[in-house]
Amino acid sequence: MALLEVDNLVKDFGGLRANDGISFQLEPGELLGLIGPNGAGKTTLFNCIAGKHPVTSGKIVFDGEDITALRAPEVARRGLARTFQVYAASGDLTVRENVMVGCFMRTPSRRKAGEKADTILADLNLMAAADQHVSELPVAAQKKVTMATALGTQPKLLLLDEVAAGLNPGEIEEIMASIRHIHHQLGVTVILIEHVMELVMRTSDRLIVLDYGRKIAEGLPDEIARDPQVIKAYLGDRYVKEHGGEVG
Amino acid sequence: MEALKNAFDFSDQPRLDMTIAGAVGTLFLIFPLLPLSAFALATMIQFFIFSLYGMGWNTIGGYGGQVDLGKAQYVGIGAYTTAVLLIRWDIPFWFSMPIGVVFAVTWSFIIGYPLFRLKGHYFAIATIATSLVLKDLFEVWEFVGAARGLEISPIEYVPPDFLRLIFKEDIYYYYVIFVFFLAGLLFLNWFRKSRLGYQLRAIKDNEDVARSLGINVHWAKIKTYAIATAYVSVVGSFHACYIKAIEPEDTMSLDISILIALMAMLGGAGSLWGPIIGAGILIPLKSYLKEWLGGMSGLAGMDLILYAVIIMVISAKEPRGVWGIVERIRRRKRT
Amino acid sequence: MEIIASSLAAGLLFGMVLALVALGLTIIFGVMDIINFAHGEFLMIGMYTALLTAQALGIDPLLTLPLAALVGFLLGVACYKGFISYILRGPMIAQLLGTFGLMLLLRNIALLVFGSEDRAVHQGLLVNKSFDIGLGIIIPATKLAGAGLSVVAFVAVWLLMHKTRMGKALTATALNPQGARYMGISTEKMNALAWGIGAGTVTMAGALIVNFWPVNPYVGLLFTMIAFTIVALGGFGSVPGAFFAALVVGLITEIPGFWDFLTYTLEWDWMFDVPMTSFKYMWIYVAYFIIMVVRPRGLFGWKH
Repeated sequence: MALLEVDNLVKDFGGLRANDGISFQLEPGELLGLIGPNGAGKTTLFNCIAGKHPVTSGKIVFDGEDITALRAPEVARRGLARTFQVYAASGDLTVRENVMVGCFMRTPSRRKAGEKADTILADLNLMAAADQHVSELPVAAQKKVTMATALGTQPKLLLLDEVAAGLNPGEIEEIMASIRHIHHQLGVTVILIEHVMELVMRTSDRLIVLDYGRKIAEGLPDEIARDPQVIKAYLGDRYVKEHGGEVG
Repeated sequence: MEALKNAFDFSDQPRLDMTIAGAVGTLFLIFPLLPLSAFALATMIQFFIFSLYGMGWNTIGGYGGQVDLGKAQYVGIGAYTTAVLLIRWDIPFWFSMPIGVVFAVTWSFIIGYPLFRLKGHYFAIATIATSLVLKDLFEVWEFVGAARGLEISPIEYVPPDFLRLIFKEDIYYYYVIFVFFLAGLLFLNWFRKSRLGYQLRAIKDNEDVARSLGINVHWAKIKTYAIATAYVSVVGSFHACYIKAIEPEDTMSLDISILIALMAMLGGAGSLWGPIIGAGILIPLKSYLKEWLGGMSGLAGMDLILYAVIIMVISAKEPRGVWGIVERIRRRKRT
Repeated sequence: MEIIASSLAAGLLFGMVLALVALGLTIIFGVMDIINFAHGEFLMIGMYTALLTAQALGIDPLLTLPLAALVGFLLGVACYKGFISYILRGPMIAQLLGTFGLMLLLRNIALLVFGSEDRAVHQGLLVNKSFDIGLGIIIPATKLAGAGLSVVAFVAVWLLMHKTRMGKALTATALNPQGARYMGISTEKMNALAWGIGAGTVTMAGALIVNFWPVNPYVGLLFTMIAFTIVALGGFGSVPGAFFAALVVGLITEIPGFWDFLTYTLEWDWMFDVPMTSFKYMWIYVAYFIIMVVRPRGLFGWKH
C-alpha cells in the first residue's frame, strides 16, 4: 500500500492556480525528489500536503487515512513532518530545546523528550552545538537543526523544503549525508524539494517535475534528465530548438 | 511526581544566580525582623504582589510573546470574588480564592477564544478593551457596590484570623504573600520546562513551524492565558483581604495592566527572574517617588512624570530589560 | 420619534468630529505600523491650547484652530525625533509601553501645569446657541460648527495627501516603504511628517471638541480608545475607512438615546432599570472587540 497518495490536487490563490491537478503516489521507504523552476508550485504542494493550506479540490491519503481536510498539527501527529524553506529563528531556544519541542509531540515527559532529542542530535552530528542558540549557528547547521526538530516528531514521512539552498559544496555533502542517514538508517520516507540539481539527481530514487503548477514528468533520475519537456521547462523553448533536446 | 521534581529543579541555572537567589531569599525571610519602617514592609508586600502578577504575565506575555495589556480585569475578578463572598456570606479566603480562580479562568476562556485569533497590536488593544468593559460593568453593578466599591470591615473579625486572612499587623500578610511568592516561583520554574512551556516558546519563535510540530497554537495560547489568569486572580483575592477596600478604579484600571507588563519588560520578559527583578526595581521606585514627591504641594504628578520618563528610556534603550543586559554580558564572555 | 432623530443627528455630528480625531492615528499607523497611546493626550493638548489662547486673547476658541494645528504639528515632530524614532526598531511591547510612557508624561505635565479641575468654554460666538432644524431636533451650534470644520479639515488633509508632492510621498511610504526608499524618499522624513500631520490633526480636533466638552488632564484615554476603535473599524491605515467608521462610532456613543427610545416605545419595565448612560463608552470597547474578532480587516474591508 502506498504511504502517500495525492489525487488530482488543485490549489487556487484568488485567481492564481498554484497547483493544477497533481497526482502521484509514494511507496514506503522511497526518497522522492520534487523539482521544477521557481514558482512551479513545489512549496505550495508541500503546504497542501502538510495541512498549512486548505486545498481547493482533490484528495490526499496518508498511511491509509484521508488527511485532505486536516490542519497542520493533526497531520503532524499522524506522522507527517516537514521543514520550512525560510525559517528565521529568533534565537530564544537552544538547539536541544528546539529538537525537544518536536519530541514533546510524542511524550509529555521532559526527561523522555530530552533523551530522544539527544539521540537525534547525536545521529545528525549536532551534539557539539546542543546548548547554543540557533541564531548563533552557521546556516548549514541551522538547516540541520530544522531537520532534527522535524525528526523529533518521529515521522513516517518527512518533507524537506530546500535544505541545501545557499550552502557551499562542502556543506551540501554534509546535508546529503544527513538525508541519507535519515532515509537509510532511520527508515524515514522522504520527499525532497531541491534546486541544487546535482543533489536531487544523486540522492533520489525517483523524481517528479512540476512546472506552472502541473506535473510535467515523473520517473527515474536518468529518464528525467533526458525528458525534453523537463529541459524545456528549465531552459526555455529556444534552447531546446537549438540543441535538439540533448543536455550537455 | 516528575512535575514536582522539575519544579524544584533549578540545575540549569548558573551557580552564581542560585547563590544570589538564595541570599536574596534569606533576606526576604528575615526582612520583617529588621528594624525598618512600616512603609518599607508595606512596600515589600506590594513588591511580592506585583512579582506574582508579573510571573503570571510572563507565562503568556514573556514566554509566549503575546502582549497582554488586560491583566487588571483578573485582579478585579479575584479581589471582588473574595470580598463579596466574605462580606455577604462570610466565606473565608481559602475557599473564596479558588472560587475566584474558577471565575477568572472561566472568563479567560470565554474571551480568550476569540482574543487569540488576533495578533500583535490588535491583540494588545483588544485585551485593553475587554478589561475596560469589565471595569465599566463593575462600576454600575450595585451588587458589588458599583463605583463606590466594597469595604471589608476588620472590626467584625477577630484578628489574627488565618482562615479569612484578616490581620492587624502587616507582618502576617508579609509571610502569607511570601509563601505565595515561593509557590509561584516554583510553578513558573515547572512551567517553563513543561511541554506547554516549550511549545509556547516555539510559538513565539514561529507559529507555522510550531503547527508543523503538532502544536495546536490557538489552544496552547488559551491554556497559558488561563494559567496567567490564575496567578493574577489568586493575588487579587489576597489584595482584597490585605487592602480591605476595593473599587473598580484601583483594581481594574489600565494603569495596573500596564504596570504588570512594564515590570516584566523592565526585568526581562521570558526569563525566570525577569518579573521579580522588574518588580524589585519599579515598585520601591514608584512608592518612594510618590512618598517624596506626591505629597509636596504644587508638584502633583511629579512622581508620575519621572516614572513616565523611566518607562520611555527603558523602552528606547533597553527593551530586553535587565535580564537582556545580563545575557548579553554572559554571551560575550563565552565567546 | 424625536429622541431617535436627535440621537441620530447628535451621533452623526459627533462622528464627524471623531473622524478628525482618528485621522492622525490611522495616518501614523499606515506609515509606520505603530500604535500611539499618547494620541488622546495630543487631543488634550489641543483642547488646552484652544481654550487658553481664546481666554488670553479674548477671541472665540474656533479661531484658534490654526494655532492648535501648528502646536500639534511641532509636538508630533518633536515626539518623533526625540523619542519615537528610538523605539521603532525595538520589539512591539517596547513600542506599546513606550508610547504609554509618552502618554503618562504628557498627562502629568498637563496636571502639573493646568491642575486637575475641569475647564470649559463659557464664552464664544456659538456657545449656548442652537438650531432647531425641525422634527424636534435641536443641535447646539458648537457641535454643528465642530462637525463642519472637522469635515473641512479632514478633506483638506486627504487632499494634501493625494494632491501634493509631499503628500504623495507620504502615501507611497505607507503603501510600500521599501519601494519608496528606492525612489529616494527618506523614510525618516516621512515618519516625522506623519507624526506632524497625525498630531496636528488631532490637536485641531481637540480645539473643536473643547467647545462642547470640558477639558482636564485625564480626558485623553477615552479618546485614544475611541480612535483605536475607529481605526480598527475602518481598517488600520485606511483614511476613507476612518471617516465612515467614525460616523458609526459616533452613533454608538448615542446608544443610550436609542435605548431610551426603545424603552418608551416598548414600555418594558426592566428596560427602565438599565443605567444605559453609564455604559455609554463601554459599547465602544465592545464594538472594538467584536469588530476585530469578526472582521479583522475592518468593517469596510479597506486595507492596503
